Formats: sequence, structure tokens, C-alpha cells
Amino acid sequence: MISDIAKNLVELKQEFVNLYDGNSQIQELIPKSTSELFPIEQSHLDLLHEFAIKNPIYYNSIEKKIGSVDCIVYEGDINKYWLNSIQHGSSKAPFSPTWIMSGYIGAMFAKELGYSEVIDIGSGDGRIAYCAKILDLESYSIEIDDILVDLQNQLTSTLNFHPYCADATAFDYSSLNLLRPIFFIGGLAQMGGTFLATGVLDKINSISNLKQNSGWVFAGTLSQKYVQDPKNEAGWGTLIEKNNLKSIQNVSLPAAWTIHEYDDVQYIFVKSN
Amino acid sequence: MTSAEEISKMFEGESRKLTSLFDTVDSKTEMNIHEIVETYYQVMNMSSMATMLQTQADSEPKELIEKIRQTEKLISERFDCIIHPKIMKDLSTTIQEMTKSLQSGNSEEKSKEQIESNAKLFEELRQTMSTKEFVEQYEKGISHDQ
Repeated sequence: MISDIAKNLVELKQEFVNLYDGNSQIQELIPKSTSELFPIEQSHLDLLHEFAIKNPIYYNSIEKKIGSVDCIVYEGDINKYWLNSIQHGSSKAPFSPTWIMSGYIGAMFAKELGYSEVIDIGSGDGRIAYCAKILDLESYSIEIDDILVDLQNQLTSTLNFHPYCADATAFDYSSLNLLRPIFFIGGLAQMGGTFLATGVLDKINSISNLKQNSGWVFAGTLSQKYVQDPKNEAGWGTLIEKNNLKSIQNVSLPAAWTIHEYDDVQYIFVKSN
Repeated sequence: MTSAEEISKMFEGESRKLTSLFDTVDSKTEMNIHEIVETYYQVMNMSSMATMLQTQADSEPKELIEKIRQTEKLISERFDCIIHPKIMKDLSTTIQEMTKSLQSGNSEEKSKEQIESNAKLFEELRQTMSTKEFVEQYEKGISHDQ
């Protein structure tokens, strides 16, 4: 069922791209209500909308029927966060969010796979951690950019997804007392993601029991514009092999930067072999 | 097969184009991104051509060899020592000024129209930064050759 929702979201995005005539830097949509294509609890959809409404990166919203689905389209701008990240050299990759709906679907998979905690690494505005919290998973959000963590702190009043301003490759994960965590690594393999993932993998592997119990979600792309990994897996194949991990789920979902791309982001779910 | 005369003609034509681009650069106080990229491509094109033709110097006419030397001297003395450092300096100044200007307006409350108009300035900044990266690659090439 979750795979169907993911597929429906990709198709909805394609219809939306043909209809959208605005000028915003980023835009995304969330269905207004539960439907056959999006059988998601209404209370969950309401919380997803709340995240977008409260989030200062969005400055406008429009009601639009896309295909058969009534949606709210959120228009946003992340330029000032991009400028801040390049000024301070703090981020390995500039902030470019996935869609809120994509974060929610990713968290649904994490729950279905049996994980109890979601750790959003390089979390941007913390949307994946927020979505995990909607699904009653414990969640933590780790972001190195202080301006983005300030933004996250504005969004925790409804659901506390525990933002931390820290370098994820130096963070003390044992302090979280994790049992069965899944780590979402922000940043494409081709955009500094492998560096971030390697640093976090090294930290987790040094904590007893966590290596076997942890899951990982890597974001990659099949776009020919990026250098591909010889072992494939949307840019993650070599890292997966080197760390003796195995792929357990692969899903394609839209992100802000894929709006005009044919290929959406490939989320590769892996665990220890 | 291409004759030596045709090669000489082609090289001279490209060399004239290079000189003309340098003259244009000198006559302007500000260059746009297209002009910068076009100038660097022509410099790199001429440098590659010169290197390739020199590998078969023994079989090339003396006039062509002399033209190649003159072109290399032109690139080294006029472009590498004067034009390229000026472009680098201008790009750095433009980036600094644009960044400062965009940062100064960050705290203000803006309308939808203002945000979308500002987004175009951010896009311009990104393009200027990419151009600087491209120009820096050329500089790395020069320092590697020395």
C-alpha cells in the first residue's frame, strides 16, 4: 500500500508540473483530504499542512485540483538559507528539501520495516523527523546549520522532533539510547552524501548492538547529469558494498529540486547484511 | 587531407578572433558572463591548438611556427598577466557586493512579488559564483603549467 501511495505521489507531481504557472523558487503539494489515491489518516494530513503553514520557507499557498485530487500547493523560497550555508561553510551540501509528503512516505516505510526511531541527518528544516513523529516513531533531527536549527525550533511546538545543532559525524549517538534506529542521510551521494554517511556509519558501528539493529536510508539519483557509481544503487552501491549492507527497499519520491526533472529522488533503504 | 596552408589560415583566423575578444575586454568596464566564458574558451582553444601544432613543428611552415609563438606570447602577457587577474578580481567584487546586498535585505518582511524578484538576484549570484569557479579552473591550469 505504501508503494502505491509513493507511485501516486510521483504521478501527481507530474500532473502538477504541467499545471503550475507560478514563479516560486520551490513548490510542493499536499492532498487536502484522505482519498482512494492517498489513504492517509486525516489527522496526519492536517499535521503535514500545519508543518507547511508554520514553516517560514513557504510564503504562499494555493488550493488546486490536480487530476482528481484536491491539494494545497505551497510556494516557498530557500535562498536565504542557501546563502547562509555557503557563507559559513558549515554545510557539506546546501539545503534543498524533499517534499513533506515524501518525508511522510519515507517515514511510513521506516515504520513498516519495524524501526522504532528515526534520525534525520542533515535534516534541513527537520521535515523527515517531524513526519516520523506523526507516525508515533521517536525522532531526532541533526543539523549543522544554526539558522536552520532555529527554524526547526519554531516548528516543534506541535510535535517535538528533537532538533540538535551538531555535526552529525561527531555527534554522540549513544546519548540517545537508540534501540532500533533508522538513519535518513540528507544529501545525494553525488552531493556530499557519501561523506556524511561514512562519518555517521563509523560512529554507529562503534556502538555495541547498533550496527546490526540499524537501518539506513540513502538519497540518490539516476539522472545522467550526475556521475554514477560503478555499483549502481543511485550512487550508493560502493558504500553499500564496502559497509556490508544490503538493500531492502527502493522508492522514488519527489523533492524540491526534482520538480522539472524526469527522475525523482531514489530512496534506498538498507540494513546490515 | 588538410594542407599546411589551410591550417595556417585557420590558426590566423582564430588568432584574430582572440585579439578581437581581448580588445573588447579592454574597452569594457564590466563583462557579462557570456563574454567571460567566450573569452576563456577561445584562450583554451588557441592554447590547445598551439600545443598540438608544436608537436609536429618540424613539418609546419616557419610562418605558422612564428604565429604560434606570437599567440602564446599574447596569451601569456596580455591574458594571463592582465585580463585574467582583472576578471578574477571583478568577479570576486561582484560576488561580495551581491552577497552583502542580499543579506542586508534578509530580515525584512517581503511580499510575494518581492520574494520572487529577489530570487532572480540569487540566481544571478549562483551563476556568477559558477563562472568564478570556471575561471579558477583556468588559474589552476596556469599554475600547474608553471
